Amino acid sequence: MKRREFVKGVAGSLSATFLLPAAARALSLIKSPVRTNRLRPPGAVPEEIFAGKCIRCGRCVEVCPYRSISLLDIRAGVYAGTPIIAAEEIPCYLCMKCVEVCPTGTLLKIRQEETRMGIAIVNRHLCYTWQSFTICRTCFDVCPYKEQAITLDQLRPIIVEDRCVGCGLCTHACPVTAEDGQKAINIEPIHAWERVRW
Amino acid sequence: MVREKRGNIHRTRLVVLSLAFLLILINPFLNYYLELNFIQGWYQSFGIGKLWFVSPLEGLESLLVSKQIFLPTLIGMLLPVCLAALLGSVYCSWLCPISFLHEILDFLRKILFRKKWLKDHLVLSRRTLWYALIGEIILSLILAAPLFVFLSPPGLVGREIMTAVFFHSLALEGVVVLLVLGMNLVTRRFFCRYFCPLGATLNIIGSRRKLRVIQDLSTCTECGLCDRACPLGLTPSLGMAQSAYCWNCGECTAVCKPGALEYQWGKKGDAETAAVVGQGDAG
Repeated sequence: MKRREFVKGVAGSLSATFLLPAAARALSLIKSPVRTNRLRPPGAVPEEIFAGKCIRCGRCVEVCPYRSISLLDIRAGVYAGTPIIAAEEIPCYLCMKCVEVCPTGTLLKIRQEETRMGIAIVNRHLCYTWQSFTICRTCFDVCPYKEQAITLDQLRPIIVEDRCVGCGLCTHACPVTAEDGQKAINIEPIHAWERVRW
Repeated sequence: MVREKRGNIHRTRLVVLSLAFLLILINPFLNYYLELNFIQGWYQSFGIGKLWFVSPLEGLESLLVSKQIFLPTLIGMLLPVCLAALLGSVYCSWLCPISFLHEILDFLRKILFRKKWLKDHLVLSRRTLWYALIGEIILSLILAAPLFVFLSPPGLVGREIMTAVFFHSLALEGVVVLLVLGMNLVTRRFFCRYFCPLGATLNIIGSRRKLRVIQDLSTCTECGLCDRACPLGLTPSLGMAQSAYCWNCGECTAVCKPGALEYQWGKKGDAETAAVVGQGDAG
């Protein structure tokens, strides 16, 4: 190997080791923190304009009586200071106080049953009832829209996707926790990815 | 008796600043421990019952970036904008929590170094302030995320207090506040003078303000005490208290012995002063 090639190789691999993680980190600064079980409060506008509309005044956090809403810090990049709900830790109890105080319309005033924070998805490989380990209907019992958003089919939970508000009460109550921290029923915030019509 | 009144401006301002700081210091405790939600937020957006305030720059950024008119934001901005249009950027000098911390820092610095007047070591062009505002808005529009709303020092003070009370931890971006306070040791109000986009917005809104510090040239003895007292490093003796940069803190009126500098409502300075103001702006 020539010296020139060797120097090139060393410099290339060194810069790759430093630059690639840096690039990945830079990308995470503009990537939305919303994912499975990490939800925006009720009435939130799509993620496309959330960071632009929210002025990080923290009023939704201060009025939340259940302390469900927490604030992201600068590690979330441009989403620093925006509110987020960790569904499996403290879910949203749908008191609708936060939508009353938002000064910028980032959380729009909506009624409780119109809330669409996400959709509950049952992981049938983990769910005790679906796996026939035992008869558990915890998610059905805690759901605020029983028989509307969640129904039982031979005691197995079925989600009615049109009616599920995505509050995360079922996720919080679910007794099954997988190794990666996910529950047998999780909230997927699919409404956060809707496009905005200008 | 007139003398006493003037000395009071400094003290009154400190009391108002402390009360404004106490409000955002105590309010998270009321919200968290007593669940009193009557007042929420801090100086980015304040909610007192159904009366909402929205900081003008933050509201403007939110409207610009989202490209949608949201009426409650505009109505929330109304009162602060009216205040700035009539009284100038008094928010900066009489209410801002960063200003409160700056005052404390100045007080400590004067005691530690046993100095009556503080010096400014790093002086930039005053126009930097406008460039900071323009740059900040353009960068926010490019990133589609308003920068000032999550990095504004006045907002960060409120957010750090709230995070400390609610989550018993501090957010990482609080170092911005420390940086701003650190620069105050080099040059008084370094961030406020040259880089605060909110201050620049309020200055623009208040450029035709009613309340101004007017210099009475016939009684002025040109002692230069006002130039030393001005925390922004302006020269009220040359009429710069009438420029857009003045934030109406009234420190110069408090030190003026012959009483040549006074708050005046709805008056403009005489032609001679105005000519000097033009020179002061150019410099």
